[in-house]
Amino acid sequence: MHDVGYVAAGYSVTLATLAAYRWHLAVRARRARRYVTAATGRARNGRRRP
Amino acid sequence: MRHLYRALTVLGSYRAQRVMGIATLAGLAATVVIGLFVVPPDATQGDVQRLMYMHVPVAWVTFLAFGVVFIASVGYLKTGRMQWDRVAAASAEIGVLCCALTIVLGSLWGRPVWGTWWTWDPRLTTTAVLLLIYVGYLSLRKVADSPARRAKWAAVVGVVGFIDVPIVHESVVWWRSLHQQATVLRLGAPTIAGSMLATLLLAFVTFSLAYGYLMAVRLRVGRLEDRSAVPVSSLSAPRARRPRRADVPASVPAPASVPADIPTSVASDSHA
Repeated sequence: MHDVGYVAAGYSVTLATLAAYRWHLAVRARRARRYVTAATGRARNGRRRP
Repeated sequence: MRHLYRALTVLGSYRAQRVMGIATLAGLAATVVIGLFVVPPDATQGDVQRLMYMHVPVAWVTFLAFGVVFIASVGYLKTGRMQWDRVAAASAEIGVLCCALTIVLGSLWGRPVWGTWWTWDPRLTTTAVLLLIYVGYLSLRKVADSPARRAKWAAVVGVVGFIDVPIVHESVVWWRSLHQQATVLRLGAPTIAGSMLATLLLAFVTFSLAYGYLMAVRLRVGRLEDRSAVPVSSLSAPRARRPRRADVPASVPAPASVPADIPTSVASDSHA
């Protein structure tokens, strides 16, 4: 029964790490997109911002 | 080389990303359910052996990621194209994450089985060295002052650092080790039960998909970050409306073209 704790911890750490990295990438993408939009004056679809 | 880059470009399309993301989620759910509740526990180790379905595939992705860093670094040194550098950087980041995760999972498995969280065993030590090499690789990328120099230095480290990967893999054969030897990839039949092998193969496929998915997302972020790092003048130059002669007062000098010290190659690469 004691071993189940190690197994649960291992699975949780793995899934949490993958999810956290994906979230981190989403944050970085959003920030970079904001910089690019500010620099070029264009939104993602290529149109000029109002 | 060209085929590999073309494959990465196809994987980077939004539709492919979506499909890979959904497949990864489904694969992870199946691996967790089968690994925890369907496959029987090991006769000797009991339930703690279920950590194998996470630890071994994550270690495989670590090798895969550093292998891609090696190929992309060779590609950069051969062609000088920034796309290869971007692939190497993305793969190294995922590799470092998986290498650290491999060590944590191994530690969680080692505590109940070996009675210790950590020991200076050849496999563990060489894996820790591998992690340090690629953390150094990522740190080096932060300190270089120009994109071309950063890419060149990183490519050299990416090629030389890969030497540790076969050493990690063979460490259990070359030296006396607490860590068990290969059970699946060995000469003759694998010494593992059929249901366990099937679950392990499912986990291998799932984590490889997860790697492909994260690579695709990370490459897209890399392209955006490269664009956002370029000075505004060089980014907007091709698209911005040039001031008409009538708009410019006589006292203001005519707008100069992009200065020579601005790395325009990054901007052009990011559109490729």
